[in-house]
Amino acid sequence: MHKLYLKGRDILHLIPSTPRYILVSVFFFTAALFCSGMLNKMTGEQNNTALVYVLAVVLISLFTSGYVYGIVVSLLAGFCNNYFFMYPYSEFSLSLTGYPMTMLSMVTISCIVCALTTRGKLHAEESVRREQRNKALYELNESLNAEKLTIQLEKDRETIRSNILRSVSHDLRTPLTAISGSAAVMLSSEGMRSEKDTAMLEDIRDDADSLIAMVENLLSITRIRNDNTEIKKQNEMLEEVVGDAVMKIHRRFPDVKVELTLCDEILFMPMDPLLIKQVVLNLLENSIRHSGSPDTIHLSLFCKDGWGGVEVRDCGRGLSDDVHRAILEGRQLSSSTSGDSSRGMGIGLSVCQSIIQVHDGFFTAHNHAEGGAVFRFGLPLEEIL
Amino acid sequence: MSEKHTILVVEDDRSISNFICRALTASGYKAVPATCGREAQTLFFSHMPDLVLLDLGLPDIDGQDLLAELTGLPQAPPTIIISARDRESEKVKALDMGADDYIVKPFGVPELLARIRTTLRRADRMKLSPGITEERYSLKDLTLDILRHQVFMGENEIHFTQNEFKILSLLFLHGGKVLTYDFILEHVWGGYSGNNNQILRVNMANIRRKLKENPSEPKYILTELGIGYRLLAD
Repeated sequence: MHKLYLKGRDILHLIPSTPRYILVSVFFFTAALFCSGMLNKMTGEQNNTALVYVLAVVLISLFTSGYVYGIVVSLLAGFCNNYFFMYPYSEFSLSLTGYPMTMLSMVTISCIVCALTTRGKLHAEESVRREQRNKALYELNESLNAEKLTIQLEKDRETIRSNILRSVSHDLRTPLTAISGSAAVMLSSEGMRSEKDTAMLEDIRDDADSLIAMVENLLSITRIRNDNTEIKKQNEMLEEVVGDAVMKIHRRFPDVKVELTLCDEILFMPMDPLLIKQVVLNLLENSIRHSGSPDTIHLSLFCKDGWGGVEVRDCGRGLSDDVHRAILEGRQLSSSTSGDSSRGMGIGLSVCQSIIQVHDGFFTAHNHAEGGAVFRFGLPLEEIL
Repeated sequence: MSEKHTILVVEDDRSISNFICRALTASGYKAVPATCGREAQTLFFSHMPDLVLLDLGLPDIDGQDLLAELTGLPQAPPTIIISARDRESEKVKALDMGADDYIVKPFGVPELLARIRTTLRRADRMKLSPGITEERYSLKDLTLDILRHQVFMGENEIHFTQNEFKILSLLFLHGGKVLTYDFILEHVWGGYSGNNNQILRVNMANIRRKLKENPSEPKYILTELGIGYRLLAD
């Protein structure tokens, strides 16, 4: 209903308003003249014509805005009526009885009608506008609600997911500790054992150990993604955190040589020490597993331009272009960039990226001129007391 | 080892308890497993163990309460806490309550055995000479002369500030026990340090530099991340 009405209006609205109103006025005025001419011929009584003009004025007021058109037309109608249809024809005569009264009443009527229709029209327009506004508001509200619901759902799902991840990781830790520990006890106990059995026990222990390392990574992720609030940072000394990580690597990989070089400054920075330790562990493990070189891994602390950080350099085959590009662009490393040959590389490095990101630090990597990959990360330094 | 040490293993997870007991037996200890707090209380009084390994997450009694009960005894044996990772406050609290050491799950067998060995040795030493402060301590090539306030590495004297020396001697005094930040702060600075352990750690960094310690291969002082320090007495 509304729509049809709006459509008709829309077509009319294609013409600019003033010429349109003039056009409308001329149209109704001509029609009224024509009609009153017809009436005059058919009935011969002038009194009927006034009603036709009033009708025209009403219609004009309806389709135009303001009083001007209505008044002009009613005056014109008065004159024309006088001129064309009253005795003496084609001449003005103000002497006829009641003529000024007729003119005056027509102008008055047109004014009143104009006022009424204008008000009505304003009301109508206002209500149409209000309706449109309400509709827009309603739609906005709808879409906002839908969006809110999606976000809430997504958030709930994320929370559930990370809760599951955390509890699963926690629950995995105890049996894995038992598996690795039992294998270690059996390995260290004396007694007759074939070489194959020993090798199998070592595999059990090593695999359990790498699963434990993976679980630690998962727990690190849940620590970051648990909620969107900031992680709990405290001032820590970088050399202690890195030293701890290196000692853990020594315990897990007794044959691997890692050399740590400190810098002269004492580096204090706000961090979650367990997470930063995880970064160093992951970088070291990455070098041990994927560099393809048994040579010493060099770790050095640096302090530069308000940043303190760690550089990890191995002497292996270096980074592939894919991995290098992904790290430079800050893209999350996925399993596809690391390939299946390098198990767990993607997750280890991407955990590093996420951890450094929540610490507002930087994480870069390049290939050393003399071969081998170099990973660097830095955190904003804290002023020392 | 002149006599067999008895170790009470309080751990509710059976497979962990099993491998710990196997490892202890294989290393010449007598292991007594307990799977809950009440059983631990009973077994404690019937065996009078020389050391207690205590998991803080027990099904029936709060591990902290059990620890308080054990350390409150007159002849209390040393206690090593088994705790989950990322629970620094729990560990610090247990250490401040009198636990001697802690080990974090997941742990390796050699690590566990090393801690047990250190703790037992210290306890034996305390039993032989209780309450006596020695005048001179030595560890590897390091010698600490308490009376003269001197530290020697081999033949060379190393100069330490007053506070650095106090920290060092405190670590030596407590053998291989983990000393929490708060404990060291209290004993070196008295109550004046507030809650800020940064001053202690800067001092420690300086000590490390003077001893030419590399935190990745410590010879004398071990950092317990987020908890404190200990002397590498082994």
